[in-house]
Amino acid sequence: MFNRSAQDSRSSAIEADSRESTTAVRLEGVTHQYGSGGGRLRSSDERTVTALRDVSFDVPMGSILGLEGPSGSGKSTILHAVAGLLVPTDGNVLLCGTDLTALSDAERTRMRRRHIGIVFQRFHLLPSLSARANVALPLVQAGISRSDRRARATALLEAVGLGDRSTHLPGELSGGERQRVAIARALSTDPDVIVADEPTGELDTATGADVLELLTDIGRDRAVVVASHDATTLSVADRVITLRDGQVDDVR
Amino acid sequence: MSVRRAVVRLRAVVGLALAQLRRSPGRTALTVLAVTLAVLSVTVLASLGVGVVEKGEQGLDNADRDIWISRSPVDPAASGTENPIVGAHGVAADLTARDDISSASPIAMYDVYVGSSPSDLERRPAVGVPETHDRFDFQAGHGFDLTEGAATSPPPDDPQRRELVLDPRVADALGVGVGDTVYIGTSRQTATANEFTVIGISDYYSQYMGSPTLTVPLGDLQAVAGTSGTDRATFVTADVADDADHDAVAADIGEEYPEYDVRTSDSQVQSMLGERTAVLASGATLVGLAVLGGIILTANLFALVAHQQRAELAALRAVGLSRGLLAGTIGTQGLVIGLLGGVLAVAATPLAVIGLNRFSASVFGFERLLRTPPEIYAGGFALALVAGTIVALVAGWRAGRYARIDHLEA
Repeated sequence: MFNRSAQDSRSSAIEADSRESTTAVRLEGVTHQYGSGGGRLRSSDERTVTALRDVSFDVPMGSILGLEGPSGSGKSTILHAVAGLLVPTDGNVLLCGTDLTALSDAERTRMRRRHIGIVFQRFHLLPSLSARANVALPLVQAGISRSDRRARATALLEAVGLGDRSTHLPGELSGGERQRVAIARALSTDPDVIVADEPTGELDTATGADVLELLTDIGRDRAVVVASHDATTLSVADRVITLRDGQVDDVR
Repeated sequence: MSVRRAVVRLRAVVGLALAQLRRSPGRTALTVLAVTLAVLSVTVLASLGVGVVEKGEQGLDNADRDIWISRSPVDPAASGTENPIVGAHGVAADLTARDDISSASPIAMYDVYVGSSPSDLERRPAVGVPETHDRFDFQAGHGFDLTEGAATSPPPDDPQRRELVLDPRVADALGVGVGDTVYIGTSRQTATANEFTVIGISDYYSQYMGSPTLTVPLGDLQAVAGTSGTDRATFVTADVADDADHDAVAADIGEEYPEYDVRTSDSQVQSMLGERTAVLASGATLVGLAVLGGIILTANLFALVAHQQRAELAALRAVGLSRGLLAGTIGTQGLVIGLLGGVLAVAATPLAVIGLNRFSASVFGFERLLRTPPEIYAGGFALALVAGTIVALVAGWRAGRYARIDHLEA
């Protein structure tokens, strides 16, 4: 359903094969302390919280990595680091071969725009825009024309089973439908990596299963990093890393 | 970045901003209202400032005199107790004799006691003039016009006409009307001896003096004040001949009468305004504070707007939209709100000015105290538009910086 060459004629089969053989995400000895430049704690506050300690892993293209662990174990911090939304205190984060820690904020934004799609637990769709406009939103920055944006957004909504809901506002959609819109939005720029934070956290079991099926489809020719407490959600992952106190506790 | 891309982004930013404004119509309406009030405060205060200056100019213009001669800078609202020019009718006669002057006459100002009976007197300013011209707009009765040459002839020792014009509020306070008798003097004692007849009701000089005023034939007022002998006046005013240059004539008279201050009508206004530096500074400060307050209020509003949208901005940032695009979205909201607020403020300004002018006329006696030239409307609208957009752009840019993913976790 989400074969990249089918979505974008620019991507050739050779490129897809090449992507599948490459590492999409690599973390090398990543340590992060909030309050030491990360920004959550004020500089006047002497306390620092170590969210990650020497975390390393690879996520190959065409695979799904699951992150599990209790609250505060560092799952979200890893997702933020992979998406270039924070720069770790120490270590390197390589996204499609580029070290995000060496880039400026604007450069990281460009990398995120080109390579990352984000799925939030609470969807974070703009309530004032229709489902189609929400999906098309990330394409605005690329300067893609309105008609092209609409066409791509419509195709993605049809792919996630919401072709008949494209003009509805988020408030008119169910939780599962909203999350599918969010997934379509994450896919709109045809990213290499999808980052999903508790993607089924707000959904019932049946709806969550639909979303997981979507993620499984997406993971065929992309890298997916999904953080969750939920064992069912993590069952779609090729590999699961268990985090405890910011450290890798187990890999299976 | 190509032009086509820029246009695509611009259209998207505008669409996004309008969608955000439509989403919270109540919040949008309140923000527009706040901008309207901020701009309205600026236009009303600026109208007051312009009105005060124009009022002074108009007072002198209405007197229809080109040149004003005084002994020292005279404040016409200072209850008229200064009459430093001695031999005023003689000065007027000398000036009238000049080829470049068509006519000249003195004006005297005194504080007098006036009442409908000698035992019930109150203190009021009085102006002594040779005539009540056609701008007096009498509510009742008529004015007076002294005989030709009276402006340049020495005043009589005793009041001759014994007529005066009262401000309507003085007439009401005294309970008199046209045809009634009042007593007038510069002291309570002299007032008992001077009976005058009310011949007209008009507030013309009240607007000029700043309080309800009596208008009395010049010679009669000097006689009542006991200054007929020295022939004292506050001003000697002159009309310049049609083909003469006002400034040149004023300079020439100034050389002839070095003991006097000789000014054209315009410079007399400036002189009077210069005497009121504190008032002008207060007015300018009020307008400045209104502008500053308006900008601060607008800045707070858009900081709040950006803050309320922080989760949405964070989501937009997370999906790859640049800070510039986010700033553009908030900035466009500011532009639209500034546009609406500016239009409403411009539309409301005349209503507010009319209302305040009515209030001012009924309470203080000042007609058309607030005046709003087109520049004030343009300035108010520009303030709303420019301040709204710039402040919103800055708020949006700052919001783009703090719109981190942290805000998505709440």
